[in-house]
Amino acid sequence: MSARRAASGGLIDRDKTVRFTFDGRPYVGFAGDTLASALLANGVTLFGRSFKYHRPRGLLSAGIDEPNALVTVLKGDVREPNIPATLLEIHDGLAVVSQNRFPSLAFDVGAASQLAGKLISAGFYYKTFMGPAIGPLRGTRFWMFCEHFIRRSAGLGRAGFAKDPARYERMNAFCDVLVVGSGPAGLMAAKAAAERGGRVILAELDQRFGGSANWSDETIDGMPASSWADRMIDELSERGNVRLLNRATVWGYYDGNTLAALERVTDHKSVGGVGEPRHRHWVIRAGAVVLATGALERPLVFPGNDRPGVMLASAAERFANEFGVLPGEKSVLFTNNDGAYRAAAALAKAGSVIAAIVDVRAQISPAAKGLAAEAGAELLAGHAIAGTEGGRAVSAVKVQPFDATNGKPFGDTRTIQADSLLVSGGWSPAIHLASQAGGKPQWSAELQAFLLPDATQNWIGAGAVTGRFSTSEALAQGHAAGIAATGGPEMPVSLPDVAAHGLDLRPAPVLEVRGEGKAFVDFQHDVTADDVRLAHREGFVSVEHLKRYTTLGMATDQGKTSNIPGLAIMAEAQGVAIEDVGTTRFRPPFAPVSIGALAAERFGDVKPERLTPMHDWHVEHGATMYAAGLWFRPMIYGEPGETIEQAYVREARAVRSAVGIVDVSTLGKIAVQGPDAATFLDRVYTNMFSTLPVGKARYGLMLREDGIAFDDGTTWRLDENEFLMTTTTANAGKVMQHLEYFLDVVWPDLKVHLTSVTDEWAGAAVAGPKSRDVLAACVTGTAVDNAALPFMGIVRGEIAGAPVMICRLSFSGEMAFEVYCGAGHGTHVWNALMQAGKPLGMVPYGLEALGTLRIEKGHVTGAEIDGRTTARDLHLDWMLSKKKPFIGSMMMDREGLAAPERISLVGLVSLDNRPLNGGAHIVEELDELSPHDSIGHVTATCYSPALGRYIGLALVKGGKARHGTRAFISDPLRKRFGPVEIVSHHFYDPEGSRMHG
Amino acid sequence: MLITCPYCGPRDLAEFSYQGDGNRQRPDPGSTDHEAWNAYVYDRLNTAGDHREVWQHSGGCRAHLAVTRNTLTHRISSVAFAREAGHRPHERKHGGES
Amino acid sequence: MVEQQSPLGPVWKPGAHGKVLGGPGVVLEETRPGSIVQLAAFPGEEKAVMAIIADATGLRLPDGAGAGMASGGKAAFGFAPGRFLVIDQEEGLAERLKPVVPVAVGTVTDLSHGRTAIRISGPKAEWVLSKLFAIDFALPAFPEGAGRSTVHHDIFTQVQRTGPDGFDLYVFRSFARSFWTTLCHASEDVGYDIR
Repeated sequence: MSARRAASGGLIDRDKTVRFTFDGRPYVGFAGDTLASALLANGVTLFGRSFKYHRPRGLLSAGIDEPNALVTVLKGDVREPNIPATLLEIHDGLAVVSQNRFPSLAFDVGAASQLAGKLISAGFYYKTFMGPAIGPLRGTRFWMFCEHFIRRSAGLGRAGFAKDPARYERMNAFCDVLVVGSGPAGLMAAKAAAERGGRVILAELDQRFGGSANWSDETIDGMPASSWADRMIDELSERGNVRLLNRATVWGYYDGNTLAALERVTDHKSVGGVGEPRHRHWVIRAGAVVLATGALERPLVFPGNDRPGVMLASAAERFANEFGVLPGEKSVLFTNNDGAYRAAAALAKAGSVIAAIVDVRAQISPAAKGLAAEAGAELLAGHAIAGTEGGRAVSAVKVQPFDATNGKPFGDTRTIQADSLLVSGGWSPAIHLASQAGGKPQWSAELQAFLLPDATQNWIGAGAVTGRFSTSEALAQGHAAGIAATGGPEMPVSLPDVAAHGLDLRPAPVLEVRGEGKAFVDFQHDVTADDVRLAHREGFVSVEHLKRYTTLGMATDQGKTSNIPGLAIMAEAQGVAIEDVGTTRFRPPFAPVSIGALAAERFGDVKPERLTPMHDWHVEHGATMYAAGLWFRPMIYGEPGETIEQAYVREARAVRSAVGIVDVSTLGKIAVQGPDAATFLDRVYTNMFSTLPVGKARYGLMLREDGIAFDDGTTWRLDENEFLMTTTTANAGKVMQHLEYFLDVVWPDLKVHLTSVTDEWAGAAVAGPKSRDVLAACVTGTAVDNAALPFMGIVRGEIAGAPVMICRLSFSGEMAFEVYCGAGHGTHVWNALMQAGKPLGMVPYGLEALGTLRIEKGHVTGAEIDGRTTARDLHLDWMLSKKKPFIGSMMMDREGLAAPERISLVGLVSLDNRPLNGGAHIVEELDELSPHDSIGHVTATCYSPALGRYIGLALVKGGKARHGTRAFISDPLRKRFGPVEIVSHHFYDPEGSRMHG
Repeated sequence: MLITCPYCGPRDLAEFSYQGDGNRQRPDPGSTDHEAWNAYVYDRLNTAGDHREVWQHSGGCRAHLAVTRNTLTHRISSVAFAREAGHRPHERKHGGES
Repeated sequence: MVEQQSPLGPVWKPGAHGKVLGGPGVVLEETRPGSIVQLAAFPGEEKAVMAIIADATGLRLPDGAGAGMASGGKAAFGFAPGRFLVIDQEEGLAERLKPVVPVAVGTVTDLSHGRTAIRISGPKAEWVLSKLFAIDFALPAFPEGAGRSTVHHDIFTQVQRTGPDGFDLYVFRSFARSFWTTLCHASEDVGYDIR
């Protein structure tokens, strides 16, 4: 047993030892210890090196507000930096390393920067590295040069590169009352709300429920406060309407009374349970919120206040009472309020010598005096700590009389030997969540703190967050809040009795002792009182500017301990009151949140993906699958040894010479049904659909309201009042929304229903001169000859017993048929088609061959309908009906959209027999080194087996007028420059005889 | 932010898609008033305060909703089915220097 | 008639999975109904469509948004204004409904292939579903028989509560395998049986 671990007491389990390592050295603690309490019990006081000056730092707090003791947890190759040791529960096998030190925590080279400390003041980096010109390194370039070195010396923990194998999950929760914080106020609120039948969630960020009950030495209902809290939790857990969440930090308060919490599910376990996530991201929608978040103690600002061994008084009290650990063997307390006296008594009781209590106030209350006497401490009223001594830990403190009128110590200095200095600068209600929700905090001069704002959403404060710091007030407020949150009238109840010390936590308005030496305000970002004053001298008047210039409060602890002292110094420098300086609005998160928890399960094998009905067939037959949005589509069905180009050329040749089959199930399909369906289509398409006979399909084009081309596809008239619209794969969702918008918002009088039936139908396009033979061999119940199934005709029949719908239309330019069947029959029908096509040499083809065939035909897709082009640009003006208005019809003729210098669709042929690059620019002059004056760009490219050339489609200024001329493609990034001929985009069979034949 | 869909009840913002300014007045389909079309397609009020908007419950019942939302506070003061809410005239004159 | 192929393929692995102790928290099944049909009423014709549903299935739906019923291999619920999903274990429901819905009253859309029906039941069904959907699955907020439309990431889903701890989910077929994988993943911490 170390000298620092009290012989008894604390809520740890002394029967269970836990082994862990810190910087490679093995240590032993008890179950229920945090890393902070366990190391402290082992006599470790040095926890890390500071951000800028590499100063040695120890524990300041015992909880989530810890700015100094941040560590990196190692799990295999995964490192998680910047975890507060005060929140990290130890478990067997836990491996932790300290941060921002080299080569070791005790001997750190970077600490030499302390010697240059005067230089590295607020704005140091900006002033030094952003401006000057040194040789060729001017301005920003100089900064970029220096940044490399600065980044190595400044900063917090280092992130790793290994993939995090942990799982994370999101949980959506709903409740009538969310109680944030499980101290006496929160427990009473949860109980009252639950008894009234409300669905209650009680969230506690620590491992133990109970909050201050775990470390106050008070009794409630005659029992130790922690036992009372345990009993309350036992009662609540019996109820079906209460969800208890410990290790769950509520970190964000959003609109609609929606709050976010992070539950640390397995961080405290050596091995997590099957399927358990490491962190669970709770999104809680609450009818009402009881904020029982308590208050955070503030440190005092004085020279040497960051030396390891200087700790918040309440933290020391907590280490002693909750963990049975003493921060030191001989302690001095320094305070501006009564709170520290309770800590002194607790520490004395646990076995520490209390050398002195130094209080800036001249008048001390009798209750406090009594506790000082109980602790056996010398009471130095009207005194202040003027400095600390020691190397990597406090060895002595310097005490002087204090002049409250100028904030300076004076007179004789007395040195008191002590290995710990416990400070209290009063308490700040933890109003972060309410501030996030938009409430404007109210300054209380009496408490020297910002109070909970008036409710901007449905929240109620209870306990210390309201600025009422006694446990009996917390119990009463909690009970009332629980009732108010469930919307009921107040009911008389006998509240538990509390035996407390009756202390007054209102502080003297003193937060700083001015003197020689660095006095830290923001420990985590190494911001000193002088930095704040310097910012003021340099003209930073607004608190928002102060924050950004000095980075005060911008570290991972978000200024939990530094906010008020920083404002106090700023106010003093400006000569105004703190309320006139104002405060910054707190932003989420209240405490750091793992990115994994926010990303939850949208990666790896649970990332949503869409598969066509024939997906498994494609994979089994050697397809290389290609992710197109969420869909997976075959790119090529490569044979052994084939390149991608060889594969698609072989597939495309087969289509032109015999027959091929391609999966087109991904095309968007929308059922357009109802008596006004044809009228609706006339309005949304540029061409007419009301004239389309039943059993026929038509190619249609849609524009946006601004007259730009939007999407194209064929629409089939299945019945008088029923159409099947197809869209491009990529635009299926957008087209659906576009159509729904017009039906709902613009033409609600039309009787039309739209339904996505993309997934209802499997689609296979059979294309090539022998395609009809394939169908003839397997389709029953209908003829498929030219009379029964003319171009754009539709028939219904069966293939291998499955009902099919066949439309004769062509994307490839060959005679082709799209065969649709129920998606659940997709593979069955596909297999039957393959069987029928085998004797005819049919091959399956993928997206690459599909693209090649369409480029040869000059058909446009999303690469050309790119949100900038008009129907005219794409030579689709023949589709613009003049007989009717349609979406975009009035806007499409605007001057700029009809200008002759617009880019329009052409074909390109490579003249150097090398592939063209999609996205390359087209220039007129042969100037490879300095290409200029782009006349357009390449949208699609392929090797054309039909032409035996590398070809492409492009959008070029002047379009048709350039047919037959030469230009160059320029793609400097991919180092491609070469001559091309601009030709018609109809490379192949421009008359269309093959598909109509 | 929550939007209370008249069919589905209060739902998270993630289920909705913003579908534009609800003050837009679409000219008669056959209208040749270019200024009116231009105003409909491009002119927006950029309101600071209560703003009429169209949202689609795209991750739910897919109905379009006429929502009045305060752009400063996100407070939503009314939600109705867009098809039942009808159109309101554009609140600003077309043309003009504003 | 050719049997429909399940979209789940290799990810459908019958048996017990995930946490072992304490028995399965949920049971996952693909129910493979013969008919999944959308019936959509034009404004003002909702009652007429509900009467048609009653005639065809015997299910007399209560009034109100999202109201529904499930019994005897048949189920129906509202999922959007004027729109109902009607499910029958037997095939051919769309063909039976089409002739009895007048053109001016509404439309019938066969989705028997386009939607995949997945049943999750057991004491932890609400817990598992709450991981995926931002809706309240508690019984008072989501009564038996009722339907909801919601979304998990890009996966649009219609949900009907078919019992105190049972829900039927209807997802787009192309997403079914991915969704099933996600559902299994989410069920691991409570243990699940696939049947």
